[in-house]
Amino acid sequence: MPVSLYIEQIINGLIAGSMYALIGGGIALVYGVTRVLNMAHGEFYMLGGYGVFYLVVAHAVPPVAAIPLVALLLFALGVIVQRLTIHYLLPREGWAFACIAATLGLSIAFQNLALVTFGEDYKAVPYYVDGVLRLGDVRLPLQRALMLAVAVITLLAMAFILKKTRFGWALRAAAQDADAASVCGIPVGRVHMITFGLSAALGAIAAAMLAPIYSVSPWMGLPVLFKGFVVVILGGLGSFPGAIVGGFLLGIVEAIGVQLTSAEWRDAIGFAVMILVVWLRPWGLFGKPQ
Amino acid sequence: MFQPLSSAAIFSALAAAIALLALPLAGAGGYVLHVMILVMIFSVFAVAYNLVTGYLGLKTFGHHAFFGLGAYGSALISMHGGISPWLSIWLGAGVAAAFGIFVGLPVLRIKSMPHVAIVTLAFAEIVRIACSNLKGVTRGELGLWGIPTFGGFDLPGLGKVVFNAANKTGYYYLAAGLLALALVATAVILRSKVGLAIFAIRDGEDAAESLGVNLTRIKLFVFGYSAFVVGAAGGFYAHYVGILTPSAAIGADVMIMVIAMTLVGGLGSFTGPLIGALLLTSLGESLRFLDQYRLLVYGAMIVMCVMFAPRGLASLGELLRRPRKSTAA
Repeated sequence: MPVSLYIEQIINGLIAGSMYALIGGGIALVYGVTRVLNMAHGEFYMLGGYGVFYLVVAHAVPPVAAIPLVALLLFALGVIVQRLTIHYLLPREGWAFACIAATLGLSIAFQNLALVTFGEDYKAVPYYVDGVLRLGDVRLPLQRALMLAVAVITLLAMAFILKKTRFGWALRAAAQDADAASVCGIPVGRVHMITFGLSAALGAIAAAMLAPIYSVSPWMGLPVLFKGFVVVILGGLGSFPGAIVGGFLLGIVEAIGVQLTSAEWRDAIGFAVMILVVWLRPWGLFGKPQ
Repeated sequence: MFQPLSSAAIFSALAAAIALLALPLAGAGGYVLHVMILVMIFSVFAVAYNLVTGYLGLKTFGHHAFFGLGAYGSALISMHGGISPWLSIWLGAGVAAAFGIFVGLPVLRIKSMPHVAIVTLAFAEIVRIACSNLKGVTRGELGLWGIPTFGGFDLPGLGKVVFNAANKTGYYYLAAGLLALALVATAVILRSKVGLAIFAIRDGEDAAESLGVNLTRIKLFVFGYSAFVVGAAGGFYAHYVGILTPSAAIGADVMIMVIAMTLVGGLGSFTGPLIGALLLTSLGESLRFLDQYRLLVYGAMIVMCVMFAPRGLASLGELLRRPRKSTAA
């Protein structure tokens, strides 16, 4: 096999990985701050996909405006969902499982609500940009290059928010010790709400970028949720930087694995690698043993 | 704790058992029997799931893998090995238990709930993907068909017992037998020393460990036993419906349904899963005409139960009964 094909595969793996990083980053953010495993994250992604479809295809809104708008809408939805469910469950005994079960129920409800509302047909979204980038023998469609660029910019913006803004400090303080943070005057409840919203918005951005590649359907969330889980386990549950590295890593592992086997085993490869990692390093590849 | 049964509980259990056994004699039609057979298969599944999740406190989300492994295992063994389904469902259950212990090994050492949830979910996905990709063995999504049914036999005094689609009475009593077996075996485990260890682990893992409970061994045993029971339910399901597809036998829908049953009925209560299975299966059947809303209702019910009745419907009964007890005392 020519070398250029391998390079192309690795680049495609990196691009897929950047999307996994966005999704895993959202799951890791919520888990890191509230210790809640959000089973409904895939449905935020799915609803983001429909948002983009209706704005871009049905109402001809330019993608540059549509994508931030969808991210904003999903941010609001995330905040509302958190306030109505997780908010009441967190103070309870057995909250960890209650949150998993409640978000699982929400996921099923959203998925079937979408099925009833939008129908079961797959909705196609056109490429945002046409054309192909050529670097020697390596060919890269501009759409894929755009995905990578948007993912990197979004992740950098998130890193900036977490490191440099007052909200980021509050978030990290709430993640370290919620009680101590609230003693210091940090409105932990509000931080939790905003974190949930940010996580949903990250999912929506990933959906917006992936919608032209895979079409939009009510079932698009579940496989993506599973990918996100693999990513956060690889990177160490609850670590945002870990999720980003885990995302890129999963993308490359899958690209190489598919070269060695076939495309239909793609998902199984990711899961198997994850179970192996849990066996050998339960705290993740980049986390610290507890 | 698993308290001694009160006489009221024994009475209601007996009444339920008699009603269940009398149903075919009362002239119930094939459709009613079919629904009740499904209720009993999913009751077995939910009871075994509840043992691990409710009693042991190990929140797994991948038990549908064992249902599928038992179903495909038993079907393939009986088709290719020429072994009677009477034997092969136990072999299929054994396959499920072996996989259960295999996947349990990495996961049960970890105390983190999300890890357990994610790894069991991922394992079930691997099993589903393997079943749909290995088309040479399982025929993939086209469906494995031609699964033999249980062989009939002569029962002295009653005549010939047959197992076919036209006459569901045989299957009905067989499913009832399987459910009774699962309930008795689970009750025996809960009342044994292992049961005490299970309650100790649920109430405080570290405390139990400090008192000499071997966490890994107990968890592996209970997990393996649960996988075995779910596998047996899967095997029975395979020979009953006669056709298997990966999405019907190992799809996430199967697990969601059982989780909904257990949560709605009451996690960690003995009768909860039975109530949940009866309620949700019959609800599902009566909602058939609005098929696409069925899962929407399930999802909403899970959320509502978690928010407003965290201990399920089985505990609502207790709440109603309690005032009467206090007046009597």
